[in-house]
Amino acid sequence: MLILGLESATAQVGCAIGGHEGVLASSHSARGKRHAENLTPAIEFVCRQARVELSEISCVAVDHGPGLFTGLRVGVASGKAIAQALRVPMIAVSSLDLLAFPLRFTDRRIAAVIDARRGEVFWAFYRQVPGGVQRVSEPTVGSPDDLAAELLAQPGDTLLCGDGAIRYAEQFADRPGIELAGGDHAYPSARALVQLAHAKALREDWVRPHEIELLYLRKPDAEINWSMREGA
Amino acid sequence: MTEPTGTTEPVTTGFAIGPDTAILGIETSCDETAASVVLGGHLVRSSVVSSQVDIHARFGGVVPEIASRAHVDLLTPVIAEALVEAGVDGADLQAVAATCGPGLVGSLLVGVSTAKALALVWGIPFIGVNHLEAHLYAALVEDPTLELPVVVLLVSGGHTMLIEMAGHGQYRLLGTTIDDAAGEAFDKVGRYLGLGYPGGPAIDRIAMEGDPHAIAFPRAMMADGLDFSFSGLKTSVVNHVRKHPEAQTADVAASFQEAVVDVLVTKARRAARQIGAKGLVLGGGVAANSLLRERFLSACVEDGIHGFLPSRAMCTDNAAMVAAAAWWRLGSDGPSPLDLGADPNLKLPLLAD
Ligand SMILES: [Zn+2]
Repeated sequence: MLILGLESATAQVGCAIGGHEGVLASSHSARGKRHAENLTPAIEFVCRQARVELSEISCVAVDHGPGLFTGLRVGVASGKAIAQALRVPMIAVSSLDLLAFPLRFTDRRIAAVIDARRGEVFWAFYRQVPGGVQRVSEPTVGSPDDLAAELLAQPGDTLLCGDGAIRYAEQFADRPGIELAGGDHAYPSARALVQLAHAKALREDWVRPHEIELLYLRKPDAEINWSMREGA
Repeated sequence: MTEPTGTTEPVTTGFAIGPDTAILGIETSCDETAASVVLGGHLVRSSVVSSQVDIHARFGGVVPEIASRAHVDLLTPVIAEALVEAGVDGADLQAVAATCGPGLVGSLLVGVSTAKALALVWGIPFIGVNHLEAHLYAALVEDPTLELPVVVLLVSGGHTMLIEMAGHGQYRLLGTTIDDAAGEAFDKVGRYLGLGYPGGPAIDRIAMEGDPHAIAFPRAMMADGLDFSFSGLKTSVVNHVRKHPEAQTADVAASFQEAVVDVLVTKARRAARQIGAKGLVLGGGVAANSLLRERFLSACVEDGIHGFLPSRAMCTDNAAMVAAAAWWRLGSDGPSPLDLGADPNLKLPLLAD
C-alpha cells in the first residue's frame, strides 16, 4: 500500500510518499506563501524520487486543518482531485495531530500550537500513548493569553510546539514546567502525515473525496458580522 | 464536424490540437463552481454549473471566504457530473484547463490546484485560462462560424468592456468603465430600491411593469469616446428617490435600466463602426438582461452587421467557455507550467499597437 500525503496548512508546503516500508520520499518548503505554485511540482518530484507512478497510489492523505485557509484549500483541493482521478479513498488528519506526533517520545503533556494570524492561535493538547500520541482536548482557537491561562491551570509539565508557540514565545516562556520545542517542530510535516495515515489505512479508516471536511475553527468574517447584526 | 471558419487557425508552435481534442474546463473565479467537457473548442459534451448565489444572497454580495469554502466542497461532485454527462474519463481527455485569473484569489486557487492535480494524474497538459478571454470565446462556442473581427461588449458585475477581437488571441481594448461596472450599478441600485441581491434579475423583472421614460436619468459620457461611467447614475437614482419618495419603484428601475442599456448599446455600435467589425457580440452576466438583449439585436439589424447573443447560460460564468479558450491557447502557446498560481488581477493580453 502506497500513501501520498499532502500538507499545506501552514506557511510550509509538504508532500511525501510512503507505506509499509515507511516514508520513501518527501519534500518540504517554507519559503513564502506559494502553496499552489509549489505543491504540484513537489508531487511530481516526490513521485520521481520514490520511483513511484501516481497510478500506484492507493490512498491520498491530506491535512484538513486547522491552519491558513487558502493554503489548506490548495492541499485539500489537490488531494481530492488526485483521489477522484485515481478512484482511491482519502484520509484526513489534523495539522495539530501532525505537530504533536513527532514528539511522541516525551512523557510530558504536548501542546500543539499553530499561528492563526490576527493575534490568535489554534491549539490542542496531547499525551503519550503506546506507539503515538492521543489528543486530550478539542482543537480550539483563541488568543495566546487564553492558551497561557490554560497552561497555568494545568498541573505537570508541557512541551509546546508549532509556529504559534514560536511566534508568541514570550507569552509562554519563563513559566515553570513549560518548554518550547525548537524550529524543527514549527510546522506539521508531510512525513508525519504519511506515517499517521498509514496506521489509519491499516484500519481502513478512510473517507471518499467528497466526504472530506475542513477544520476551519473560525467562521468567515461576513457570517460573524451577519449573526451579530441579526442578534442585535 | 464544422471547423471554425473565416478565422486564423492557431499557430501550431504549441500543441497539436484537432476537432477531437477533448478538454476538461474548470471555472471557480467567483461564485459559480463549474466544469465542462468540450471537443475541438466548441462541441460542448457537458457543462455543469453549481451557483452559490443563494449562499451569498443574505450578505448582499459575494463573500470571498464563503465562496472559497463552497468551491472546495462543490468542485469534486461538479467535475464528476461533467465527466459522467460527457461519457468520458481521464483516458479520453487531452488536457485540463482552469481559470487562473482575474477573480477572487482564494476561489481561483481551488480550481487551479484541482486542474493541475488532475493533469498530473492523467499525464496530460494543464492550461491556465484568462477569465476574460474565456468570456470572449463563449460566443464562438455557440457559433464557431462567427467571422472576425468582432466587437465584444463584455458586461458583468466585475467588468464593462468593449473589446475588439481581431483574431484568435488578438485583442484591443476599445473602451472600459472608469468607475463602477454595469453589473455593480445594477446590484447597488437593486439594493437601494430594496429589491435584494443579485440586483440585475430583480431590476429586469420589476422594470417590465414600469415606464422607462418616467425619469430622465443622465447618460454619462454618452457623446465622447467608448469609455463608460456608471457611478454618477447610481447617485442620480438615490437623489431622485430622496426628492420624490412617491416615485414608483418600477418606474425608477425601468428608467435606470433604460439609461444603462442606452449607453451600452450606443457605445457598442460606435465601436463596431469605428473598427469596421463584421459582428457585434454580447457577453458577461449582464448580457442576460432582457432589455439589453432586445436593444442590442435591433441595433445590429439597423446597422446591418451580424449580432450575436450567446444563450444566457453561456453569458454567465461557465466552464465550457474556459475549455473553448483553452483549446485555442493550447494550440498557440502549448501547456502552462505546473507551477502556475492564480493572478487575481490578470489582464487580457492586448495587441501592442
Ligand atoms: Zn465572468
